[in-house]
Amino acid sequence: MTSLIIGKIRGNRVITKIVNWARLSSLWPVHFTTGCCSPEEMALFMPRYDAERFGVLMVPSSLRQCDFLVVLGLVTNKMAKRLKLVYDQMAEPKYVMAVGACAISGGLFYDSPTVLKGIDQILPVDVYVPGCPPRPEVWIQGIRLLQEKIRKGK
Amino acid sequence: MSVETGIVEDLKSKFTDAITDASVQRQARIILTAKSEAVINVASYLKENLGFDFVVSVCGAEMPQEDLFTIIYHFWSSSKKILITLKTKVPKKAPKIQSITPVYESANWHERETHEMWGVKFIKHPDLGGLLLPEGWKDLPPQRKEFKLTG
Amino acid sequence: MSVMRVSWGPQHPASGQMRIILDVDGDMVVNAIPSVGYTHRCIEKLAENRRYYQIVPLVERVCNLDAFNATLGYIQAVEELMGLTIPERAQHIRVMMAEMGRIMSHLYWLAIYGIMPGFLTMIMWPIGDRELFLDLAEMVTGCRVTYPYFMIGGVRADLPAGFAERATKTLNFFENRLKDYERMMYKNKIYEMRAKGIGVLKAADAINLGVVGPNLRGSGIKADTRKDEPYQAYDKFDFEIPTEERGDCDARARVRFREIQQSISIIRQALKKMPEGPVQVKAPLRPPAGEVYKKIEASRGEMGFYIISDGSDKPCRLKISSPSFRNLAALPFLGRGVTMADIPVIYFSLDLFALDIDR
Repeated sequence: MTSLIIGKIRGNRVITKIVNWARLSSLWPVHFTTGCCSPEEMALFMPRYDAERFGVLMVPSSLRQCDFLVVLGLVTNKMAKRLKLVYDQMAEPKYVMAVGACAISGGLFYDSPTVLKGIDQILPVDVYVPGCPPRPEVWIQGIRLLQEKIRKGK
Repeated sequence: MSVETGIVEDLKSKFTDAITDASVQRQARIILTAKSEAVINVASYLKENLGFDFVVSVCGAEMPQEDLFTIIYHFWSSSKKILITLKTKVPKKAPKIQSITPVYESANWHERETHEMWGVKFIKHPDLGGLLLPEGWKDLPPQRKEFKLTG
Repeated sequence: MSVMRVSWGPQHPASGQMRIILDVDGDMVVNAIPSVGYTHRCIEKLAENRRYYQIVPLVERVCNLDAFNATLGYIQAVEELMGLTIPERAQHIRVMMAEMGRIMSHLYWLAIYGIMPGFLTMIMWPIGDRELFLDLAEMVTGCRVTYPYFMIGGVRADLPAGFAERATKTLNFFENRLKDYERMMYKNKIYEMRAKGIGVLKAADAINLGVVGPNLRGSGIKADTRKDEPYQAYDKFDFEIPTEERGDCDARARVRFREIQQSISIIRQALKKMPEGPVQVKAPLRPPAGEVYKKIEASRGEMGFYIISDGSDKPCRLKISSPSFRNLAALPFLGRGVTMADIPVIYFSLDLFALDIDR
């Protein structure tokens, strides 16, 4: 009986729309800053560009209550293990954003023996934000793309 | 450049056999080449007698067509404002050299990195554990020329 | 005594891409062991696979918070190898942009250092004010954070029209802001409690450990490459090297604050007496065979570039002596026998940047 009710609720278009709206309006990131994109990350969350107006609040709190994983910059093979661990600890629904050329494909370090050539080798990526480092405006566009994806029901 | 020339003459006279080449490259730059077993003595002399108080770096290099690794030390004197580049050669087959960490404490991490990147063993070094490479790195030391980059 | 091992990082909002293994007995830290290598890219090896001008963006990303200084060091080394004489105007522009880079790097440091004792304002203000300098950099180079501006032979293009006025306006505004910073943080009783007398590094220990930069100057030693081995046009500028005697976290922070003030003065002098002339010379593709060691004073400390050339268009060996790697030795030394709460303040007062350590 309960599962029937939950099934009806899940299937309801209006409720799904509301749930999706709630999710996209309050996306809390796990900031996995491993590279030189860190100044732009700082710039994004600070006074001028202020990602908080999109609901993206950088909270230094537990991984388990964050919604999306922002992989910012290069990921080395040494760090890849930890990246997977962080991703596994997050609660569903969770999304992944690859920010920067290094996270997308290894970037400038395409021939380095220690750099992972793109995080999509180990994680399912939802949004790619190119740049070296990407400007905060491009990043905000990436966040909007992710929100659009959630709104349409990923 | 009289200070630099004076230092070169002093080292040449003190280490007649051990230092095989010593020259002033330009102002504030001296390049020495020494035998590998004498490096610890030269380093001690530089610190105690000539006032070279900083180790700037320790690194390895591989010259083409040589069956040797070159280990390069850079010493800086904060009073004289002169840099000394000390080079020495070790065989590629079993590269090892006495560590200068007992003399210069700051050489510790530099030697650790050189060990990891070149496979050079520093005798009497306190801890030659892994530093920069991923744990369990089984491949060749990556800065050797025989380690080829892919991509 | 029962010792527990706590791992701080590498994924942590405040550890900065490296891991610190803390052995703690209750609240006291027995050992602080840095564990690095999480951002190691083998840049020195990659450089052997690239032409000299292609290495510039690689070197920039060794310490991209201070991108101007990092590229300047490498480019100078190559120019010395090639025997190039850089035009006066290009040298002045380089000095001005390098000092701007120093201010940007110190502001970023101040933001991170400020938030550690719990000052949320001190992360907002410096990052917000840093944007003004990023705007100036964007006006000159077209980019905010990583710049394709310094090149082997000079700078890529001349300063745009209106730059001097905009820069003067920014500096005037920012100089007033520094008074706010001083009042908000440096003269704040809570900050003083957390930083004064903590992490004391005496001069003899500093030399023994081989630390460089503001960490060395915070222990009373007046060592700065811009005065010890002047490069570019630094010998034509009038500036001081700030030092502090106490050697604690606050001393190191004050050195950086005063360095920002000195950088503002240098930029003003550069704007006033900028010589006319070309901004670049043609550079060959291949330097002659030989070797060079050239160093500069980056914001974190002395940064050295050692290049061995075999006469081809790619270097035989590039060695980067990075300041954070040399400063790293101070962390286990200072982290012994302090409380856990003091570790972030000590760690950030040293201004260690993991990308700089790992290269």
